Amino acid sequence: MKVTVNGTVLELDPGTSAIDAVFAAGFDVPYFCSQPYMSPIGACRMCLARIGAPRKERDGSWILDESSGEPKVFYFPAMMATCTTAIMEGMVIDTLSKDVKDAQNAMVEFTLINHPLDCPVCDKGGACELQDRAYEYGTGRSRFVFDKRHQEKHHPLSALITLDRERCIHCKRCVRYFEEVPGDEVLDFIERGGHTYIGTLEDGLPSNFTGNITDICPVGALLDATSRFRGRNWEYDHTFTTSLDDASGSAIVVDARTGRIERIKSGLNPEVNKSWIDDGIRFGHEYADDPERLKRPLLRRGEGFEEVSWEEAAAFVAERLAGFSGKDVGVAIRADATLEEGVAARALAQHVGTGQLDHAPRHGPSLVPLHGATVLDVATADALLVLGDVTEELPALDLRIKDALKGVSPPELFAHGVPIADLRLKERMPRASERLAVVAPYRVDLMKYAGAAVQVPVAGEAAWLQAMAAVAHAQPADEAVLGMPRAEAESLVRAWREAQKPIMIVGGFVLASEAATEAAASLAKAVGFRQVLVPPMANGVGLEITQVLPSHARYDYQGMLGGSAKALVLSNLNPAVDPAVAERLRSCELLVVHDLFLTETARLAHVVLPGTSGYEKDGTMVSLEGRFLPVRAAPVDAGEARDLTGVVKALGEAFGQRLEGRSVRSARRVLRKELGFDPTELHRLGLLRELPRRRAIVSLNVRETVVGDSLRVPSLARPEYLGRNAHLRAALGGPALRLHPEDAAARGLRTGDEVVVPVDGVPRRLEVRVSDAVPRGVSLVPATPEAPAGPAAVALDDLVHERRALEVA
Amino acid sequence: MSDTASSAPKPITSRFDPRFEPTLYAHVGVPGSHTLSYYRSHGGYEAASKALGLEPKAVVDEVKASGLRGRGGAGFPTGVKWSFMPPVDGRQRFIVCNADESEPGSFKDRYLLEDDPHQLIEGMLIAGWAIQATIGVVYVRGEYYHAYGRLAAAIDEARAAGILGRGVLGSEFDFDLILHRGAGAYICGEETALMNSFEGLRANPRLKPPFPAQAGVYGLPSTINNVESFCAAVHIVARGAAWHAAMGTDDSKGMKLYQVSGPVARPGVYEVPMGATFRELIMELAGGPSEPAKAIIPGGSSTPLLPWSDATLDLPMDYGTMAKHRSMLGTGGVIVIPERKCIVDAYYNVVRFYAHESCGKCTPCREGSATWLPKMYQKLLAGQGTHEDLALMEDMVKHMRGTAFCPLADACAMPVQASFEHFRHEYEHLVDQGESLYPRRREWAA
Repeated sequence: MKVTVNGTVLELDPGTSAIDAVFAAGFDVPYFCSQPYMSPIGACRMCLARIGAPRKERDGSWILDESSGEPKVFYFPAMMATCTTAIMEGMVIDTLSKDVKDAQNAMVEFTLINHPLDCPVCDKGGACELQDRAYEYGTGRSRFVFDKRHQEKHHPLSALITLDRERCIHCKRCVRYFEEVPGDEVLDFIERGGHTYIGTLEDGLPSNFTGNITDICPVGALLDATSRFRGRNWEYDHTFTTSLDDASGSAIVVDARTGRIERIKSGLNPEVNKSWIDDGIRFGHEYADDPERLKRPLLRRGEGFEEVSWEEAAAFVAERLAGFSGKDVGVAIRADATLEEGVAARALAQHVGTGQLDHAPRHGPSLVPLHGATVLDVATADALLVLGDVTEELPALDLRIKDALKGVSPPELFAHGVPIADLRLKERMPRASERLAVVAPYRVDLMKYAGAAVQVPVAGEAAWLQAMAAVAHAQPADEAVLGMPRAEAESLVRAWREAQKPIMIVGGFVLASEAATEAAASLAKAVGFRQVLVPPMANGVGLEITQVLPSHARYDYQGMLGGSAKALVLSNLNPAVDPAVAERLRSCELLVVHDLFLTETARLAHVVLPGTSGYEKDGTMVSLEGRFLPVRAAPVDAGEARDLTGVVKALGEAFGQRLEGRSVRSARRVLRKELGFDPTELHRLGLLRELPRRRAIVSLNVRETVVGDSLRVPSLARPEYLGRNAHLRAALGGPALRLHPEDAAARGLRTGDEVVVPVDGVPRRLEVRVSDAVPRGVSLVPATPEAPAGPAAVALDDLVHERRALEVA
Repeated sequence: MSDTASSAPKPITSRFDPRFEPTLYAHVGVPGSHTLSYYRSHGGYEAASKALGLEPKAVVDEVKASGLRGRGGAGFPTGVKWSFMPPVDGRQRFIVCNADESEPGSFKDRYLLEDDPHQLIEGMLIAGWAIQATIGVVYVRGEYYHAYGRLAAAIDEARAAGILGRGVLGSEFDFDLILHRGAGAYICGEETALMNSFEGLRANPRLKPPFPAQAGVYGLPSTINNVESFCAAVHIVARGAAWHAAMGTDDSKGMKLYQVSGPVARPGVYEVPMGATFRELIMELAGGPSEPAKAIIPGGSSTPLLPWSDATLDLPMDYGTMAKHRSMLGTGGVIVIPERKCIVDAYYNVVRFYAHESCGKCTPCREGSATWLPKMYQKLLAGQGTHEDLALMEDMVKHMRGTAFCPLADACAMPVQASFEHFRHEYEHLVDQGESLYPRRREWAA
């Protein structure tokens, strides 16, 4: 359609909003309420413009201007909000005339009459949309001589978000966000007219995605409580990087000031997380600044440790390693290490000549599916089968599933980026629940959107998938296993088969079992699903394809811990939480631990090397869809901490060898050869690649202890660091033992009780949470990197009550 | 029609025309008029039976031909609105009655609801048939408790008599009514805010388009009309479009309920053909002002006032004439403003109302109507205003007009603008002298 903006003629697709036409033409118009990826509502009235369009006669011909012979432009009687106006053929938009300027001045003045001018102490100062727009479009003066509205200035909406009600300009972005994006309606306007303010019910903001409202608030009303009053915007160093908290590959911006991470904001990656991140990623950074972080290498001296230099520590390790036969050495790294660290670990293993190399946690089956799907495919899928609790396991995927239910395809990007006002989005859009089926061993959040929701028994996924596959092959299947009448199962299979883009999302509960993974693959084959497999940690896919893997199944991580290795190098792994493993490690001849903290395992080590957090290293990660994404180090003070390439560098120097992977650069030289591209040149939005499938290695990773009737469940807050993330812990509570109300009542447990309970023989300190989402007889405990999602034995009979919750009258 | 126009009789534009006969209010005030037996004995539900015997489209065409325009204030042609409904596609369709009569100066619907609820039910039944909606929603103003009770009883009676429910009046058509009480918010008179409120959401107006015919109640095709419009439809079906079109002026047809309030001898609701003059309504029917008057608000507080003069009194009360004089017919709620009433004070009262009722969704209304403008009036009335303040107020209302999301800010700005236009000297007197030209009288003092 032809549109003229201030004399500039351009051709745009029908359905484009007038505000995007203005920006596409290279002009600016102020706005507060519109927000990319959300519905335009026309509340702030800042984007007013004079708009006209030609009209047609009844016979369909244009009404012509008599003097020029061109179609006559009829202007609308009032100014129109460009964000809610769709373009029409021949539309003329004027944003520069005096009338428009006057209206913009007036709207800025109206907006500012009740907005406190506390910009000098406001955290948003310098990055505030209102501040910018007031300078650009205001008169610089206010004629309002009365008292401004006084409301609460420090209202904690939750432990994570503080609201300054005086600063709110009622754009409704936050209220709309909760309804439209995560679908958790936890915030709304209260009161009306000049008294309107936003508020919640009593229990704060129960949603996994609350932090995003601090990003989209155009003013300093909604602020991240972890960074409030900690710096001015121009003092922050912004590092555009990728989150290593999960395998989504979500773009984040790490804001650091004077060597400390102050806050994390969402980055923009239209094909992955759009501009949303979950609270685990956003608020889970405080551990990186914990005072207990290791800053220097430690060397065992008797019962204690001595701080030494890297050279000393490396020389000690090199000397001791020389005494081992190569194959007695084990090297294991955590599955959120970068590709470069993987190359370094590989180089180290190669140098000492061992096949005992692994990353953990890791599933037995490959994480590269036969027919993979991308995150964008999920967002545009017309049939989805979700196996597991995606909302906790990979929250970014949860939001894209909800996109798919809305049925609005991702917008075409303009030169100015994501459409500011996508007119296809509406408030309170219906979600096509019939597109979604969810299968999990307990009631998960996504089930409320699901047309078909099946609660299977613990470890019952394999049986369900086999039964479903039987239905697909028109063979008999047990309705009790299906959890639904056969007719329903048949119509589900039919819907999957008829769908243009059916996608199966396979979570950790299924991947923990090889039988279930196989059953999922055969069901996928039977009905034509493409699969998304959820890795247990950020770079599981990457470390698999760079072959950070044992040469033989018995040399895997569990094998090393079980005694196949006499010397162990562990990076960011803490197996000694299990007393049995700790006992074995005590007899280990050399234990080198590379970690952030003096963990249970580090305490047993001969050498402890300080490691970097995911915000402090450069590298590359591969997300679950096979997207290579850059990880960049924020300028923070981590003492002498180094990532694994730094460890290998120091060891190499002590060996007198130039090992591959002795630096990020050196590791990338290797990667370039293996991958066919240079990771140094990766764009911020990443590079999507076809991935090679791994040869099957049977994993002993999940220890074959008693497979219990309980579950280790994924959580968006990393349990290994939750205790050090004070704000996140305050909001979410500690690591939880979730029980059915009847089970809890039978043992006299109440929400808030602190207990110590053996999980697979490992005593865990947990906080009781009673929930009817949990089936009777099942306890849910958080999965950890040492014990990822899957069936567990929770010995409730051996539970020790540490502290009882206060009696609530 | 055009060939008969020259020979056609002069349209009826006066209540005193012998051809005129009150219909809408024919039974208001009669004891027992709210019962089904009374209504039936006076020809009730015959129009509905007649309509059910016609094609739905024929009913719409009849209403279109009658020239009926929406009686809720905006004056949109009712039949045209009905024809906007999408073709029947199996989705539920709704007919909604806006009985949230909250405009200051308007009280016509109240007596229809209280004394003639069956007339509304019949009107909605006809409209429901015409647009093929099987569910009707009546959104009654929260304060209209008596009306709510009467309407609830009438709906029960109608259900028991087979007028509502499955196969109404022996036809194949199913129709039932949902009665919903508001909670006393003026903004719920705005059609989309009303739908939000009915759905249990916050009463904010919705974005249009989509209009209710595309996405109304619960996002389904809906049509919404005023109580009086539905009642008029009953008589249009009963007596024919030509009967209705014989009344009124070129652009405004039919009979209309006008309300007169203010210092007049007989304030109240009067059913008059469209195009009757203010003189007929105020001087003859309402008995004239009981004290000297200086202005007339023609259609509820949101319509710009007109100065009291012979010329004004002789204006016919129809949509076109009011528009020509830069005012609006609105709901026909005529308010007479007496000479002794300070205009600034009077308009502070009006502004306070809109300030209280602003929903807070959009900036000009929340910050202008609801916050700044009433504060300016307070400053003026406290005797502390300046000429700059007057200029500021005029500038402010100029920017509140046509910039807001829904018409509420316009409803506040337009009358203020008119008060400046016609009574600027009163504002200036207040600024210059520090006190009002017409100080408040202690009306209740001994």
